[in-house]
Amino acid sequence: MKIVVLMKRVPDLVEDLEVDGSGKALATEHLKLTVNEFDDHALEEGLLLKETSGGELTVVALDAADVDKMLFTALAKGADRVLKITGAANVEGNTGLAAVFEEVLSAQEHDLILTGVQAADDRDGQLGPIVAALLDVPCVEVVTQVEVGEPGEGMVTVHKEYSGGVVAELEISLPAVLGIQAARQSPRYAPVSKVRQIQQSATIETLAGAGESSGAAAGGGSGFSVVEMTAPETGAGAQMLAGVDELMAVLEAKGVV
Amino acid sequence: MLTTAERIVFLILVVVCGGLAFRGFANIVRIVRRGRKAEPREGLLGRFLQAFLDVALQRPVFKTRPLVSVFHAFIFFGFSFYLLVNVNDLLEAYVSGWSMIGRGGVAGVFNLLSDLLSVLVLTGMVALLVRRFLAKPKSLEFNASVKLHPRVVAGGVPRDSLIVGVFILLHVGARWVGTALHLAKEGHGDPWLPTASLLAAGFSGLGEAALETGTHLCWWVAMGLIVLFLPYFPRSKHLHLMVAPVNLALEKRTPRGLLEAPPDAANPGAKELTDLSWPLLLDSYACIMCNRCQDACPAHATGTPLSPAALEINKRYYANEHAASLASGDNTGGAGLLDFAISEDAVWSCTSCYACVRICPVGNAPMFDLIEMRRGLVFDGAAPDEVAEVLRHLDEKGNSFGESARKRPRWAKKLDFKIPDARKQPVEYLWFVGDFASYDPQCQEISRTVARILNSAGIDFGILYETERSAGNDIRRVGEEGLFESLAEQNAAALAECEFEKIFTTDPHTFNALKNEYGPFVDGGPFDVVHYSTLLLDLFTQGRLEAGTQLKARGTYHDPCFLGRYNGGFEAPRGVIRACGLELVEMPRSRENSFCCGAGGGRIWMKDHPDVVERPSENRIREALELGAVDYFVVACPKDLTMYRDAVKSTGSEGQIAVKDIADLVAEAIGLSAAEVN
Repeated sequence: MKIVVLMKRVPDLVEDLEVDGSGKALATEHLKLTVNEFDDHALEEGLLLKETSGGELTVVALDAADVDKMLFTALAKGADRVLKITGAANVEGNTGLAAVFEEVLSAQEHDLILTGVQAADDRDGQLGPIVAALLDVPCVEVVTQVEVGEPGEGMVTVHKEYSGGVVAELEISLPAVLGIQAARQSPRYAPVSKVRQIQQSATIETLAGAGESSGAAAGGGSGFSVVEMTAPETGAGAQMLAGVDELMAVLEAKGVV
Repeated sequence: MLTTAERIVFLILVVVCGGLAFRGFANIVRIVRRGRKAEPREGLLGRFLQAFLDVALQRPVFKTRPLVSVFHAFIFFGFSFYLLVNVNDLLEAYVSGWSMIGRGGVAGVFNLLSDLLSVLVLTGMVALLVRRFLAKPKSLEFNASVKLHPRVVAGGVPRDSLIVGVFILLHVGARWVGTALHLAKEGHGDPWLPTASLLAAGFSGLGEAALETGTHLCWWVAMGLIVLFLPYFPRSKHLHLMVAPVNLALEKRTPRGLLEAPPDAANPGAKELTDLSWPLLLDSYACIMCNRCQDACPAHATGTPLSPAALEINKRYYANEHAASLASGDNTGGAGLLDFAISEDAVWSCTSCYACVRICPVGNAPMFDLIEMRRGLVFDGAAPDEVAEVLRHLDEKGNSFGESARKRPRWAKKLDFKIPDARKQPVEYLWFVGDFASYDPQCQEISRTVARILNSAGIDFGILYETERSAGNDIRRVGEEGLFESLAEQNAAALAECEFEKIFTTDPHTFNALKNEYGPFVDGGPFDVVHYSTLLLDLFTQGRLEAGTQLKARGTYHDPCFLGRYNGGFEAPRGVIRACGLELVEMPRSRENSFCCGAGGGRIWMKDHPDVVERPSENRIREALELGAVDYFVVACPKDLTMYRDAVKSTGSEGQIAVKDIADLVAEAIGLSAAEVN
C-alpha cells in the first residue's frame, strides 16, 4: 500500500504571537514554526499502518522554516520517502494548499492519504475534504484509528470520533483521504543521533509547486480574505468562590435556584 | 599422614574437579570479553594494590551494615589465613613427618592464628546463617513486582547461600575438629591451640583407631570438600572472593559524574547481555547478592519494580544458564535483557542517584546498566510518552518545559537592576542558570534572590539570556546521547563567544554536566565551574557578605545527589547554613548516604509508577520530621525546592517544616528585606 502523509509547519503557540503592521497577519520577526501536532499524529498512524500491513510511506510538505529537519525526522521514524514542495509559500488557505498537494499527489502513486484533521493556523479545517474533492476520492475526518485487511483488498476500516464519546467504525474504499485526530499511540520520538545519521545518508526530493497559480487551479481562489487580525480580548476574569454557600448565593442571585 | 591410596585418590579428584572448574572460569573470562569496550583501565598495578589494600582492610564492606560486616570480617580474615592452612594441610598429607602441631616459634604463631581464626570463621558463618534463615531480614526480599530469573524465584539465592555456608562450616569445622582429634591422639593439649585443646579433652575417651580414622575423615572433609566444591565455585556467590578484588581494581575511575559515551553511536545501548560493556558483565560475577544496593535505592524503597540487586543477580543466573553459548558467541539474537534481567518500567524507575554504585562492596555499577538499556530504548523510539515529549521540547526549544527559548531570561525582568549580558560584555562570573531556575515559578524567586545577593555583594556576573540551553545532564541519563551532545555543542559554542573567569550555577545537575561532561565539547579543557554554595561561602569568608542577623532556627540539610555524592560538595552548603547562624541538625541519611528526592535521571518528567507507596521526597520529609523540632528543610538545588515543597504539602506537613533554599537563608541573614528579595 502506498501511504502519503501531508504535513505542514505552523506557528509555535508557546511564543508570544504578534500581529504585523498590516493588521492582517502574524509578525514573522520572532515567529517560530513547529510541526502541526495533528500531522504528527497522521504520520504516527501511517507508520503504525506500515509496520502492521507493509507498504511505502511518503511524506509531503511545503517548504518552510526547519522543514528539512521535520522531514529527516520523519525518515528517522520510518518514512520511506520525503518530498518538499518549493515555491508555494504564498498559497491562500486550505484551498490553495489543497491545490498544491493535489498537483503533487496526481503525479505520485497513492492508496491512502493521511493528514492532520486541523492545524493551529487553519481557518476551516477542510484540507482533507478539499484534497479529496480535487482527487475525487472519499474522505473521512476526525479519524482515530486505521486498519487494513478486514474488509479485503482495497478497503480500510477507520474509527471516526463524534462528540459525546461516540465512535463510528467505517469501511472505506481506497484511494481515500483521512483527517487524523489522534494516532493509536503518541507520536514516537526520533533520537537526534538517528536523525543526524539520516541527514547524512538520505535526500529530500524537491518539487516545484504551482505557487501563485494554485488558487486558480482550485477554482477561483480560496474565497476568503482576512479583514483584521487581533489578539483575543481579555475577559473580566473569573470570580473565585470560597465554598458551596457562596455558590448557592450566586445561583440564587441569578435566579437559577 | 595420608595413605598412598588416599594420596592417589585426592590427586585424581584434583585433576577432574580442577578441570571442570577451569572450564567454568574460562567461560567467565570469555563471556566478560564478549562485552563491549569500555574506557581503558590504566595504571593496573596501582589499581590492584589499592584494591587489595581496601579488601584487606574490608573498607568497601564496612560502608554500611556494621554488625554483618564484622561477621563478614571474621570469615574474610579466617579464610584468607586458611590459604596458608590449606597449603600446610597438603604438605602434612604428602610430606612424611610434616606437622606444625606441637611446635613453638613461627609454627606456634601459625597454630594460634589458625586456631582462633577457625573459631571466628565458624562464629561469623553461624551468625550469618542465623541472620539469613532465622532472622530473615526484609532487606533480603524484593518488592513483589521486581522481575526475577525463574531460578531466583525457585529459591536459587538462599540455596546458593546455604551451600556456601555449609561448605564453609564443614571445611573450617572439619579442620578444627581434625586438629583436636590429632591432639587427643597425642594425649596432651597444645598452648598454641587453645580452642582445639579444649575440644580435644572431649575426645579423650576414644580409642587410638577411632582417633586415627577421625583425623583422616576430617582431613577429607576439610580438603576433599574444597576440591569437590571447585566445579561449583564459578557458578556460586562464593566466586566473589576472587572476582570482587579484581572488579574493585578495574572499577571506573573517571569522575562519578562523567558517563561514558556509547562506543558505537550508530547502535547505542544494550538490548542483550553482551551489549553491555565488559566491566558491567564482570559486575554480575562479583555480586554477592547482599542487596545493599537495593537498600540504598530510592526507587526500590518507594515500591517500584526496580532492584539493582535483582538486576545483577538475574544477569548472573542467565549467564550461568547460557554459559557455553554466551562464551562461544552463539547467543547473539538470544533473550533480551528486558526478558530476563529487568522490566522496562523498572529501567525507567531509576533516578540516577548513584547510591547503588556508591554502596556496593564489590565495586558493581548497576546504574550504568540501566542507562545503557535506556539508550537502547530511546534509540528504538521506545521512550515513555512523557519522556518523548520532553525530549522533543528540548530538541526544538532547548528547555524541558516546552517553553519559548526567548522567555528563558524573563525571570530577571522583575529585578530592579539589569543583569549584565555575558554575550556582550566580559564578566567575572558567568551564571549558567539552568532550566528549572529559569522557568519554574518557585525557582525563579530563588534565582532573583541569588541575583540580589550577588548584586549587593558587588559581584560582577552575567547570564547568557535566551542563548542558554538546558545543560543536558538528565537528558544524558535518560539515554538520549545525541540530544545531550547537541545541547552541549550549542552551549559550548555560546560560552566560547563570552569572556568570563568562572561559571557558577545553582543547579547541581547543570553543575555536574558542565564540570564533568563538557570536556570533549570545549577547546582548552573543562570549565572552571562552582556551585553557588561554594560561591556564597567564599563571599562570607572574604567578608563580602556579612550575616548581620543570626537566624534563630533549627534546620536540616538535604544533600543533592549531583552536588554531594557525585561531586563531593558536602561542606560548602553546610558552611553557608552555619554562616547564617542556623542550628544544623543532620538527618540519619546524609552526605554520601543522602537519599535522593526522586527527581533525577529524568524522573521529574515521568509519572509515578503505580506501585509507588510513598514518593522518595515524602519518605525524606518524614525522615526530617522524625528529627523533631526542625523549622527548616534546607535545600541547595532548584529541583529539590519544587520536589520538597510538593512533598511537604502531600504529606500534610505544612506548618511543621518549611523548605528553604540556602539563598533564602543568606538573604535573611544579610538583611535583604522581603520587598528587596522579590
